[in-house]
Amino acid sequence: MTPWGVGSYEGPGGREPWEISHEEIQRDMGTASKTLAELGVGPGQRVLFCSMLSEAGQFWPLIVGAMLSGAQLSCADATESEAVRVAMFTRLIEYRAVLGVTPAILDGLDALGHPYADVFAGIEVIGARPGAYERLRAAGLSPRRFVLCGPAVAIADAPDAPALVSASEWEIAGDGDRVVVTGRRERATTFERTHTAVRGDVVGNGVVWRT
Amino acid sequence: MNLPPVDSVFYDTEYETMPRDEITQLQEELLLEMIPHAYEHSALVHETWENAGVHPRDIRSIDDFVERAPFIDKNALRRFRDERGDPYGGTNTVPPDELTAIMSTSGTTGDPTLVPEKWGGGGPRRPAIITRDFWGMGVRPGDHVALVLFTFRGPTYGLFQGLGTIPILFDFDPDEMQRFCELSLRYRPTGLYNFGSVLINAVREVCDARGYDPRDVFSSYKGVVFAGEPLSPRARRLAEEWGVELYEHCGVGDVTASFECGEHDGLHIWEDTAFVEEIELADAGDGGDRKELVATALVNRTAPLIRYRSDDIVRVSRDICACGRTHMRMWPIGRKGDEVVVQGKTILPIDVWTAVESVDACAMGLFQVIRTGREVDRLRLRVGYAGKANEASVRDDVGAAVLVETGVEPEIELVPNAALLKLGPPHKIPRVAKS
Repeated sequence: MTPWGVGSYEGPGGREPWEISHEEIQRDMGTASKTLAELGVGPGQRVLFCSMLSEAGQFWPLIVGAMLSGAQLSCADATESEAVRVAMFTRLIEYRAVLGVTPAILDGLDALGHPYADVFAGIEVIGARPGAYERLRAAGLSPRRFVLCGPAVAIADAPDAPALVSASEWEIAGDGDRVVVTGRRERATTFERTHTAVRGDVVGNGVVWRT
Repeated sequence: MNLPPVDSVFYDTEYETMPRDEITQLQEELLLEMIPHAYEHSALVHETWENAGVHPRDIRSIDDFVERAPFIDKNALRRFRDERGDPYGGTNTVPPDELTAIMSTSGTTGDPTLVPEKWGGGGPRRPAIITRDFWGMGVRPGDHVALVLFTFRGPTYGLFQGLGTIPILFDFDPDEMQRFCELSLRYRPTGLYNFGSVLINAVREVCDARGYDPRDVFSSYKGVVFAGEPLSPRARRLAEEWGVELYEHCGVGDVTASFECGEHDGLHIWEDTAFVEEIELADAGDGGDRKELVATALVNRTAPLIRYRSDDIVRVSRDICACGRTHMRMWPIGRKGDEVVVQGKTILPIDVWTAVESVDACAMGLFQVIRTGREVDRLRLRVGYAGKANEASVRDDVGAAVLVETGVEPEIELVPNAALLKLGPPHKIPRVAKS
């Protein structure tokens, strides 16, 4: 396999390095395109990704998937100081989806005095991570669950629904209260019931986290 | 473009060592292609040129351009954006549905502005920024490179993969420095893009706490790039003690970027990507060789900035560099909007930096100059400190050090480091604040 890069994923003990091959990234791009299409992100639509560089292994397929599907993409870091950028983007540009919203971004919006309902007004798909999902719901919005289950991206296909991983690439299961992940196809790093940082319940190929 | 032989000094020998007259000729060709395109498709350029009574047919040479073309600056872009409701500030030249990405500037000098992008259609004709620079440092295909970056500029790692290297991806965050040390020791990367004073200090703390030898951590690196703001004297000293070869990197007026070469004598600007001018500082009297940098895009046809005033104060040279490259070099000095004049003394953030970080509790060098106007009665500083230090003592120590360094007694507001780190990525917390 040809090395693509060294990303990372969150395990129970912290951030773990993740060697990634071009071959698996190529497959993940195809999966990401399908996922985005199911979220209604296609030609003429726009999507804002909130992520960190250490998460590029998970987000790069989504970025290319958006490009391949004819959508337009924007990027912001998923940090408190980047709340100003997220607010600027949603003020100036109409987005179909904002994916990867974190509690840190919401902290930043709070500090700026920007109500969530204003910043995310009119955005059909708000993919919110653990901690942010609950706060957005409390503010009267209808976010979807979005979580990185270790190396696997999980996005809900509807508000209230579990966050789904690609069933062709990943198998998830519970081990105690931890979500564990197994790769179904060859990858540069072997994932075999690998424990992730996510705590929650597994329903099929979906996860409902516990905060 | 195929990769050059690994023993080639330059990535693109033909372009990197192009004689000056050929660079000028190439720039003129690119400029004369770009101007009608920008005039026709960029609403901001069109309006600016119409208001100035200049038409592309008036421009037949670089000399005509320098003599007649009007300037644009970031305020003009923001004004156009706000008055016309055009999110791109009149810079976008392609139909909006043809854009691939909408990115943004860093926002260091105010609110970020949007950068429309068309991938695969509007980029450089030959690989230039990063590719030529990292090759010049000695980074080669198959090497690992450590990328310590943000995401808001888009997936920069693609440029490193195009060079055949394998990126190791880190957040620009002091908390990532333990992982950085561990993975540097494991993968032995040859290049690092990019670092800053806060991260260097964080590496020192990690090494102290975990027992790593920082010289070993950095032993495989042929080049470590820092950017965003000048390296603090303390951080530079530390890096040099560890045997790190530092390369400065800097933007060029939102148009292109510049990197030091192995000679460390100025930052090369690839002149096949931008036409760069330097103009007199309007209020500097005899500014000597300090000028304001003005840049014009030569290859970015999606959002071309034409005669864009950067606000950056620089010194430049077009002499051939000892490295053999012929492209111009610049030496960044500061930003016009950052200086304050106190009791007749001009003070830039760099002037107080050494003093601030000389106090142990303030070793991270986190501070802001409070600038309510260019001329102020008092030098007001907001300074970050760590741990449980005695505030009164820290304030006294910083005040005394700043007085020695600048000749001006400052008024100091102490805040925890974390409060300043929240204001932005640590390489770029705003060094000047209005309040």
